[in-house]
Amino acid sequence: MSATARQWLDDIRALPLPENIRIMNVCGGHERSITMAGLRGALPDNIELIPGPGCPVCVCPEEDVYEAIQIALHEDVILTAFGDMLRVPVNVPKDAIRSLEQAKASGADIRPVASPMESVQIAHDNPDKPVVFFATGFETTTAPVAAMLAEGTPDNLYVLLSGRLTWPAVAMLLDSEEAGFDALVAPGHVATVMGADEWQFVIDHHKMPAAVAGFTPESLLAAMYSTLRQKIEQRPFLDNCYPEVVTTGGNTSAKKHLSHVMKVVDANWRGVGIIPDSGFALTEAYAGHDARKQYPGYADTARKRAGQMPPGCDCARVVLGKIYPNECRLYGKACTPRTPIGPCMVSDEGACRIWWAGGVRESAA
Amino acid sequence: MCLGIPMQIKTIDGFLARCEAKGVERDVNLFMLQDDQVSPGDYVVVHIGYAIQKMTEQEARSAWEIYDEMLAAEHA
Ligand code: SF4
Repeated sequence: MSATARQWLDDIRALPLPENIRIMNVCGGHERSITMAGLRGALPDNIELIPGPGCPVCVCPEEDVYEAIQIALHEDVILTAFGDMLRVPVNVPKDAIRSLEQAKASGADIRPVASPMESVQIAHDNPDKPVVFFATGFETTTAPVAAMLAEGTPDNLYVLLSGRLTWPAVAMLLDSEEAGFDALVAPGHVATVMGADEWQFVIDHHKMPAAVAGFTPESLLAAMYSTLRQKIEQRPFLDNCYPEVVTTGGNTSAKKHLSHVMKVVDANWRGVGIIPDSGFALTEAYAGHDARKQYPGYADTARKRAGQMPPGCDCARVVLGKIYPNECRLYGKACTPRTPIGPCMVSDEGACRIWWAGGVRESAA
Repeated sequence: MCLGIPMQIKTIDGFLARCEAKGVERDVNLFMLQDDQVSPGDYVVVHIGYAIQKMTEQEARSAWEIYDEMLAAEHA
């Protein structure tokens, strides 16, 4: 750990800390840095760090993954998706195809991509074949998808959009009876795009301390220090501990593309349910690139109820910060990164996977 | 998935830039920065192939240093 990080730790230890304070983060990247840098062990015991809804792969509705699998299997298309999505399991009978990876193994043309630009390239290179880009992710990832469409894409490229906004999930937790945390570390790259002021509601409506953080232990510790001081002095305000790239209003051209190409709609989160105004859908102007309009037969609304987490998997409660990953009964037993049961163990941003990678091998259930 | 990496712009052709970070080169789309002035030599945060924001050289260097440390710790 760097000297600056150690200094922040000392500063935190020197604070007159409350008996117990729970700080939630809502970004898989934050949870990764916290776990890999060993911040939980380094901080005083009365500070609890809770991983919250920070994994887009984990909350991607089961029915959307199912839809992507069915389109890939039954239409003559190339399906592209971010690599993490390929192993996400859906709930189907034992012998049925349960992931994009299995669909690929059974002959569907499914290609993992790391960027929307790769999907555009694949569409260019295969002008006679429809390309369906299964675009999952939070604002940071959805904004480039909007930029891709705004810039202009080949006619044979369709987007199966499953974008989500992070702040409505936090708003839902804060509006519930038991939020489960006392301070918030807000996601740095979501704020880079959307602006820090998206998180102002945490202070204005809930009088809860909050700070935007970057991804280094330094920036995270600075944000934690800030929220702790806000709590102790009972003077909550939205702090920006990632001023290198985060501004109040965010990236204006990115937001312009987003609002032109997409509209905000109520959306389902896997295992959680519908969260108002938490999802993106394509606007009429881009209907010609909407995979759901091009291949309408595969949206199975009945799955909305069936489409929960796999049986026995506690991912939904992990995502909402209600339990720690190793409090799931399957953690480290039936469920490991080699044999993942739920999406939180599949994705690099899933808390279960991150904790496993961080060396937590013991189940606490 | 929301982690961006600082890169330096080498050349620009329309909205496409060739960027470099620690010896690795990538094509990076600048369409999300069309309201900003960007030129070769500038540093940007890149996420899934798109530059999402500009940053200073000093900020980019210190981010690289710390990411390096984190990667080293992860593989240790
Ligand atoms: S350990 Fe596995 S089964 Fe349990 S919540 Fe995490 S992903 Fe789901």
